[in-house]
Amino acid sequence: MSAAPDKRPTPKGKGTKGAAPAAAAGAAATAVAGAALCLTEENLGKLVAEIVAGGTRLVAPAREPQAGVGGSADYRYISSAAELAFGDSLPRMSLKGFFLPQSEVLFKWHRKGADVEIEAVPTEFPPQIVLGARPCDTAALEIVDQVMDWGLRDELWFGRRDATTIFNLSCPVEDASCFCHAVGLNPDATRAADGMLTPVPGGYLVETCTEKGAALIEGHKALFESGDTGAAAQRSKAAAQYRADARAKVAADLQIDTTRIKEWVGDHFDDDFWTALGPRCNGCAACASVCPTCHCFDIVDEPEGVGHGARRRNWDTCQTGVFTLHASGHNPRADQNSRFRQRVNHKFFIYPSRFGEVLCTGCGRCSRVCPEGQDLAEVLACIDELARA
Amino acid sequence: MKELRDLARKLLADGDAGVVIGWEEGRRGARPAFITTPDDADKLIFDARCVHNLANYLNPRKPQVKALGKPAVVVKGCDAKAVAGLLREAQLTRDRVILIGVRCGGVVQTPEMPAELTEATVATRCYGCDVREPKLVDHLVGDAQPEPPVTAALDRRIAELDALSPQERWQFWTGQLAKCTRCHACRQACPLCHCERCITDKTQPQWIESSSHLRGNFAWHLTRAQHLAGRCVGCGECERACPVGIPLSLINRKLQLVVKDLFDYTVTDDPEVPAPIGAYAVDDRQEFIE
Amino acid sequence: MNVYQPHLMNVVAVIDETPDTRTLRLQFKDPEVAAAFAFKAGQFGEYSVFGAGESTFCMASSPTRPEFIEASFKLAGKVTNELRQLNVGDTMGFRGPYGNTFPLEQWEGKNVVFIAGGIGLAPVRCVIWNVLDLRDKFGDVTIVYGARSVADLVYKRELEEWAGRSDVKLVTTVDPGGETPDWKGEVGFVTPVVEKTAPSADNAVVVLCGPPIVVKMTLPVLAKLGFADDQVYTTLENRMKCGIGKCGRCNIGPVYVCKDGPVFTAAQLKALPAEY
Repeated sequence: MSAAPDKRPTPKGKGTKGAAPAAAAGAAATAVAGAALCLTEENLGKLVAEIVAGGTRLVAPAREPQAGVGGSADYRYISSAAELAFGDSLPRMSLKGFFLPQSEVLFKWHRKGADVEIEAVPTEFPPQIVLGARPCDTAALEIVDQVMDWGLRDELWFGRRDATTIFNLSCPVEDASCFCHAVGLNPDATRAADGMLTPVPGGYLVETCTEKGAALIEGHKALFESGDTGAAAQRSKAAAQYRADARAKVAADLQIDTTRIKEWVGDHFDDDFWTALGPRCNGCAACASVCPTCHCFDIVDEPEGVGHGARRRNWDTCQTGVFTLHASGHNPRADQNSRFRQRVNHKFFIYPSRFGEVLCTGCGRCSRVCPEGQDLAEVLACIDELARA
Repeated sequence: MKELRDLARKLLADGDAGVVIGWEEGRRGARPAFITTPDDADKLIFDARCVHNLANYLNPRKPQVKALGKPAVVVKGCDAKAVAGLLREAQLTRDRVILIGVRCGGVVQTPEMPAELTEATVATRCYGCDVREPKLVDHLVGDAQPEPPVTAALDRRIAELDALSPQERWQFWTGQLAKCTRCHACRQACPLCHCERCITDKTQPQWIESSSHLRGNFAWHLTRAQHLAGRCVGCGECERACPVGIPLSLINRKLQLVVKDLFDYTVTDDPEVPAPIGAYAVDDRQEFIE
Repeated sequence: MNVYQPHLMNVVAVIDETPDTRTLRLQFKDPEVAAAFAFKAGQFGEYSVFGAGESTFCMASSPTRPEFIEASFKLAGKVTNELRQLNVGDTMGFRGPYGNTFPLEQWEGKNVVFIAGGIGLAPVRCVIWNVLDLRDKFGDVTIVYGARSVADLVYKRELEEWAGRSDVKLVTTVDPGGETPDWKGEVGFVTPVVEKTAPSADNAVVVLCGPPIVVKMTLPVLAKLGFADDQVYTTLENRMKCGIGKCGRCNIGPVYVCKDGPVFTAAQLKALPAEY
């Protein structure tokens, strides 16, 4: 059995090294390299133990280590199966931070008299595995690949991409703020994933999508069972039902035409829509922090001692007042109306104009985290309606 | 709330206010509303989900709100304390804003929760509330409300932290502040963070590093805490806004307790009462100056 | 290869053009990099002061003179402040060249009109020397340059050189009140001086750069003189960080200034939303 194909065509970019390219639209996106296998809950625990024992870093949804605070699941480096939180809510932050760290050293400098020596940082990284990534988070990586490979190739991003094997966890849909379906994805999408785990009674249906995914399974062969055809058929059926239910659930959340939205946003730069929407936004940028596709960054030099320091790149966002502040004092986006417009603009007009797809995977985190109730699905629905009028 | 809606409608129709800032039903619960026409006044609601501190929209650094005209803001008591703070610090003049006070029986922790107040759901800010009927207002609407359920959970947690050894407490805070992404949602959500140019945005020199390493994060949070001491109204918006769940109310509430202890001061909604650190008095404590 | 890692440069000369504008002449420390380096008129670079950060400046020297690269800048903020502390012999960083180019190949045989205000002469100067070093390929060369005062004129030595050439028509001007007793040039803002100079639009292109107000006021004058929007080229300055299209800072409408620009025709500029 295979998942429905991802609705968005795979971009023409170079993709990542070592992965077989994801299948083109129309073909089953879950290109099953071998027979669908099963991973029991118990064996999932053993898989974690084996990976960790083998020295490979492992990322998975896990709960906050410090008790009594928050308690949300988030993607973390884990060292034991006890930390796994597959069944919890959507991880609070996206996978972005494992590829574009919140703060990353670009190089270090050391002064020697009038001279300067540069200490380079590695662009190759030790292998790491992500288990249980939500499809919206994984697909986001390939969307951002496009800008990271535009013209000059960002080897820090791709170094991490190349070193990472990602197994998705088919998503049951978090809540009504999800809208992956409306932007061309699905809760069981495998875009940019090396494999997929779908919850079934007793464990997970396991499918591979790429050679990297197959290699991971091969390395821990004994933990994956194919079982007899009866059991396999039952698993397939359960998985198909799980996925179909999820797809139906999210499809109901939002129905829009992103092409129509792109045209409207491009043509209505000065519309009153933005002045009605902008005031509620307090410019907190929580949305950009949790967003899997927001990738804008700042570059700063930080002295770390006399005569030496590091140049870093840090997450940044168009939502702050100083993002477009010129040294002259002129600021082309001097109020929150224009800044909020920019967010929608970049994601639904600029990026699709440039790279052929929206800079959004419909994960809904921005709507959940916004302290003032700005809701992206609602914004898109409004624009779609305006566009149809 | 008919009383609120009628008042809003009248203020707008008479031209006394250009915009009524209150709450409306959003897709995920209550959310701030900007009512600019009398017809839209019916959107206004008030219930225990109206958590947001609307005083934040009176921040002078929000030209997009100013552009809507003279604001009439619906304020709970805690929100009114924040407005008093803005008045006290000359960020606002009293005649430039209309304050619609609303009688409050407490709010729940997030605007998405059902409006049912219990010990488990009530927001930490409501503990010990002394402004259930805001005084600094031009109008007061709403029925008298019962006392909110009481929970001293926040103060208990602070006592637990205080009881830790310094090393253990350091462990706790490094764990929490390591999560910070320096998005500054805490700052943006806070009505009292109104600096024209925040210290962390200044580059000559870079007083506070903007990188989200532990060093930078500590510098940011400690500086913000210092800047808020004696001014923070305890609305908890910073903690609610934080996308990574840093328990900022532990810091801010601790500061309130320290300020109470050192200066016998609790933040008030009377703008005439000076804040301890913002005002100089001849009889200020100085036993720490040897 | 880490695209964010700059090349090391030696500061070989420092020229103070005006009280707040300086030119730095730089050479690559690594002779292999120096030999391989090439750029085209219109491109920009990210110039580093290690410890302060990077600043975006256009390449102010001409690609026809590859022994060094030059950047001219005005004191504006943190990095430019540090740049002004540099001396000959100090080390800087450089990333580039980035951005698009003035299409000089398309201008062969045409008359070229250069219009600049203040520090806006820096990117234009690159094209001027590029054209003058290949003088036979182009028709008439006209330069109209103005600044607030005589002291604020940049590249003063080169203005003299251009004035002395018989194959260049140079018109310099200072704002009213900016003239000195022995000033022999025009007195007036750049825009009316352009109108007075009235360069012919026939078989001509314009390279225009200056403070936004100069560009804004001069475009209609050029239209009046008969220049079509695709005959007029300008270079945009926008807040940039990475310079390579990734950090998201410089976009205006669907355009990334660092990738689709910084060189734009007036036609392209007019199609952009007013967000720059």
